Amino acid sequence: MRRPSAAPPSVEPALHCAEVQGLVGIVLVSRSDRLARGLADLAGQVAGPDVRIEAVGAAGERVAAAIARADAGAGVVVLADVEAALDAAREAVGRSAGDAVRLADAPLVEGAVAAAVTAATGQPLDAVAAAAEEAHDVGKR
Amino acid sequence: MRLPDGVALHARPAGLFVRTAAGFKSRITVAAGEKRSDAKSILGVLALGAEGGTTLVLTAEGEDAGLAVAALTACVGAFAE
Repeated sequence: MRRPSAAPPSVEPALHCAEVQGLVGIVLVSRSDRLARGLADLAGQVAGPDVRIEAVGAAGERVAAAIARADAGAGVVVLADVEAALDAAREAVGRSAGDAVRLADAPLVEGAVAAAVTAATGQPLDAVAAAAEEAHDVGKR
Repeated sequence: MRLPDGVALHARPAGLFVRTAAGFKSRITVAAGEKRSDAKSILGVLALGAEGGTTLVLTAEGEDAGLAVAALTACVGAFAE
């Protein structure tokens, strides 16, 4: 939901600094439904309410439907964890037409947070996918 | 600039901070203690682990550096509201 531009600043102090539309969507595919949902919740807290983030377990047709729901016209980045979830994500991305759906080569949790925040800034698909993949380079020690 | 007491630069505030930084062309870094990060990198900013009351040092270089620092300072100030 979007405030009219004339509305006074309220609880989201930075949103009027970063007014954007047609954001890249994010699909999170995990072996665990609960993991995917919890991660969508976390990424949504960090990225704010404007990015479409869909969470699904590992079933091909559900991934395809989630991609459709996440698509706001700017493309979709898909992140997956392991085994059947990754297979389902590969299959759904492979079946989607054109270049507007990408499977990110990225760790699921960090990649999802980085991708969602980058999407929230209105950056294009390439940049959102790249942000997810750069999560490989963030050290923990 | 000091983080308001009780407001850590974690999930939601960190996201607002990074999304604000991303709106500027300048190269912006944020430091907390000995750690520093690109202010436009959410994973970097989260890794700062900055708790409420921490002093943040912003450095910006570029044509809109002044505006960027002002906006980020206002953004952090608004966390307490």
